[in-house]
Amino acid sequence: MRAASKSGSGPLARNGCDFGLSEKRINETLNDPAATERAAEELRRTKRLALSGMMFALALVLSVVEHSFPLPLTVPGVKLGLSNIAVMYALFFLSKSQAYSIAVLKGLFVFVTRGLVAGILSLTGGILSLTVMLIIMVLFRDRASYTAISISGAIAHNMGQFIAVSFIYTGMYLLAYLPVLLVSGVIAGIITAVLLKVIIPAFERLRL
Amino acid sequence: MKLFRKTDILIITLILAVAAAMWYFYRSSVSGRQVRAEIYYYSDLVGTVELVPGQKRTISVPQHENVVLRTDTDGSIRFIRSDCPDKICIRTGRIYLAGQSAACLPNGIIVKVVPADGWKEGDPDIVIGSSGEQ
Repeated sequence: MRAASKSGSGPLARNGCDFGLSEKRINETLNDPAATERAAEELRRTKRLALSGMMFALALVLSVVEHSFPLPLTVPGVKLGLSNIAVMYALFFLSKSQAYSIAVLKGLFVFVTRGLVAGILSLTGGILSLTVMLIIMVLFRDRASYTAISISGAIAHNMGQFIAVSFIYTGMYLLAYLPVLLVSGVIAGIITAVLLKVIIPAFERLRL
Repeated sequence: MKLFRKTDILIITLILAVAAAMWYFYRSSVSGRQVRAEIYYYSDLVGTVELVPGQKRTISVPQHENVVLRTDTDGSIRFIRSDCPDKICIRTGRIYLAGQSAACLPNGIIVKVVPADGWKEGDPDIVIGSSGEQ
């Protein structure tokens, strides 16, 4: 964000991307190895900040896209969960704190646009899903595949939303819906894993 | 990290098998039982309808006149009208087995099918977020 506000401030900013560094500071930095290292670290941080901002934007777009075309899903809590793609990318390639911030911010966005209950459901599903994916990543590391993690995340998301619905409204009979939540979680998980795989090279081409 | 591993097939098969087993267990434990429908406005029980085959009734609750339910001759109940944006409640269709529910979340109205004599001891009664009367 700082990069955007300061871009265009000097000759080095001609390509619109000076990462917030003034010309004077760059000259000072070039003569001092420690400062070069600091500047590089700052650059990495700025890139990560930009990338998580983009992931949040992606999560919102996917959430709106998903909400705008109706699926024949009639069980509370069951959904495709496309925005989980953004959260998963953040979890795999950024950091867990960034993944959690995206999940929380997305919950807030849903709260602002679609109301309190929808916001709570999004938050419950998002946090539970992320926590389960994180646990599996820590436990199995490279032995887990994107698909396996994505499926467990999708199931956790469905269950989280279903449980939240049950608490906000009235008790529901879980056994009648557990099979539906599991099967739809498997399908949604596979779809999001494949889409994530498609998106990864696109983000790598951005050289962020 | 790989997109897909061979063990994933095993995991997916296992999940689907568990789902199928639960579905079978559920269907066999509730089929053929006498049921009634309970209508909730958020967590408050606002109406009960006996689901008896051969009976056709149209129901609405005072909290939301725009939401209309109907019981059908086959002993099922369904939402037939609602002013909510997504109409998920209507698309859910008819429900008739104990444990099934249909929800119009935007209007806060939920219909649950429960056994006429209540859930019994020994029933696989995994009810979460119970409203206190289960």
